[in-house]
Amino acid sequence: MDNLAKHLLQRLMRRIPASMLQSTLDKWGRLTAEKRKSLDFTQSKLTITQELVALCEESELTVKHITELEMIYVTENPNQGMWHTFQLLDPEDDAHSVELMQFKEQFKSHLSELKRNVSVKIKKHTDEAVWIRVAWGDGLSRPNHLKATYVVHYLQTPYVFVNALSSKNKPLLLQALTLSTKHQQIKAANLSGQKLTALRDLLMRQYQQVFPTKYPSPLPESDQSISKLRIEKVQAEASANRHRMAGETFGDGMLPALQSAFFQLETKFKDPTNEAMTQRDEPFICSVKFSSSNLLESLRHCASSGIASTPVTPLLSSIPLKGRNYFVITDNVPNA
Amino acid sequence: MEGSRERTPHSGVVKRRSKSQSYRRSIRTCFGVASGLSLTPALTARRMNICRKAPRSQNITEKVKPEHLALLVKTEWQLSYVTPLYQFRHTQLKTYARQLSAFIAAEKQQGLAVEVGGLQNTFKVSFSVLQGLAETNDDPETVLIQVQSKPMFARQEDPPKTVWSGWLSCINGNPEYLQSLPKDFTCLPLFCSKGAEGLSSLVKSWLQRTFDCCFGPLDINQTTLQWLAALWTNCHMETNIQKLKMIWTLPVVPPLQVTYTVDSDDALELWRSTRESSAEKSRGAEDEVCIDFSEVTRFMQGLMSHFYRHFRVDLSAGELNQVSSALGSAKLNGKIKISSSRYLISIFSLLTECALLKMPI
Repeated sequence: MDNLAKHLLQRLMRRIPASMLQSTLDKWGRLTAEKRKSLDFTQSKLTITQELVALCEESELTVKHITELEMIYVTENPNQGMWHTFQLLDPEDDAHSVELMQFKEQFKSHLSELKRNVSVKIKKHTDEAVWIRVAWGDGLSRPNHLKATYVVHYLQTPYVFVNALSSKNKPLLLQALTLSTKHQQIKAANLSGQKLTALRDLLMRQYQQVFPTKYPSPLPESDQSISKLRIEKVQAEASANRHRMAGETFGDGMLPALQSAFFQLETKFKDPTNEAMTQRDEPFICSVKFSSSNLLESLRHCASSGIASTPVTPLLSSIPLKGRNYFVITDNVPNA
Repeated sequence: MEGSRERTPHSGVVKRRSKSQSYRRSIRTCFGVASGLSLTPALTARRMNICRKAPRSQNITEKVKPEHLALLVKTEWQLSYVTPLYQFRHTQLKTYARQLSAFIAAEKQQGLAVEVGGLQNTFKVSFSVLQGLAETNDDPETVLIQVQSKPMFARQEDPPKTVWSGWLSCINGNPEYLQSLPKDFTCLPLFCSKGAEGLSSLVKSWLQRTFDCCFGPLDINQTTLQWLAALWTNCHMETNIQKLKMIWTLPVVPPLQVTYTVDSDDALELWRSTRESSAEKSRGAEDEVCIDFSEVTRFMQGLMSHFYRHFRVDLSAGELNQVSSALGSAKLNGKIKISSSRYLISIFSLLTECALLKMPI
């Protein structure tokens, strides 16, 4: 086992939390059951790492095998680092019939044409996602396995999620993706965050949608309510309306755990009580960032409790409806 | 009206969700109640100043030694208030240092774990005077306390590291109050500390025993945070504050944090426009004239209404947690950082005032 493989393994072991070690190694399957049993997982991580390195050396494992292990770990624990979303546009006629083998071949060949010395691994995950791991080298050096880029794409959808991509390699990767999926363009989708699962669920609408209905409740019967009951009824109605509108905008039940949304505002200041500012021609430059452990649930609660007036403003409803969390708002284009 | 919404501490008035004239008017009429009058009947009625002079950029390097200033700026301090110290003498500082050292050593022996990161050998305490910060004749001079220590296995020539520092000060304290105190009391109501919590407790404990005083946390309340937002924006006329950043939290589940950052030039224009609308103020010498809290309120409302126009979310339903700019940052939980010595005096005068408001008598 060469030094690079050892180094890679040691680095990887530092990343994998102790609780997940055993299951990840089992899934990897490159060590025989016997060898795996010989590892004592109650020891310190440092000790386990040393023993594991020894076992891998015995089995003559290489960098290729270690990168497999890394890929298994990242695939099972995707909510780390920062994921950026891209959207493929202008599909060609046969785009929808691109299937896995074809995509794999095409992607690998396009990317190696664009850059020498890249190492590409493609795997299909159980949930139909295609995972790609790219280690970048260049004409002079070997692929750098320590800083690999990960890409997730669901075939037949226009969305691509990318992690750890340098600006130098960005155009190459995007071009390879566009060509291999038979599209003509790709653009940034203005949706990023740490939790890949949240970004994916948001875009693929994999949460409970609430569709607006014209008659939300059964028609009321004629009632002879006295004045106090009428007040309670009005309050209850108002509350029910807010809850309904909040649900229609954001969804029902558990929502994807998006963690932040950023708005760059470059609009004019308009306030009837402040003439001086309202008469200004220049925009009032400011930015607003919303953050929460689950942003969509927080916003939904704002709407249902009245902190956010309903109907919810398009700026906020664009987050779930358009599946993005980065916006630049100017006066000309209300939802850039 | 919604019963489930939380009220911000200083607004005693029921709010309507839509931003209309009556909403603003009702805040102003209730302002008297929200001025932070101290609750206990006092010999001297202390209240939060409704009117305040705008902070001027002061070059205090002539009054205060640069190395002292370096200790104070660009550091985040935890604020507490302390009641007047009985029989504290600025001339006895060496004695106090010895006594505090001994106290810390004794407490350590009793098994009180003082976690300063690794085993520590001995703690060496020093008390010194930071001359020049006291502004008026009634202000006692600021006292700095530092605790230094050497790790257990350090070499002889390694210098001891400062593991904890704190300072007691009174900057532009209310002269009426200071003069009303009995002779033997020294009022240094503002206590700033930085370092391990264990050491903070020990130092406070020793001060409490020795000078018969009481400590309490000095939270920077909504009013003070709003003052700082306005004052720092005002400073942009002299010194570039780069951005005005405010962080609110809204009481929803899970809690929502809103970081609202305004370009400093635009913030200043908004601030100026709220000041101009006060008819009595003369245009010329803006900086000599007092700033009224009602102007601060109008400024904040301007910011919040711009926010509301876009998001239809009422920020006043939440709580302002933090205000920061290139000049420093202030947090609700009583943490302050001053990045520029030019405005040190002004900001700490404001904080001294807050500390004095907490005095029980």
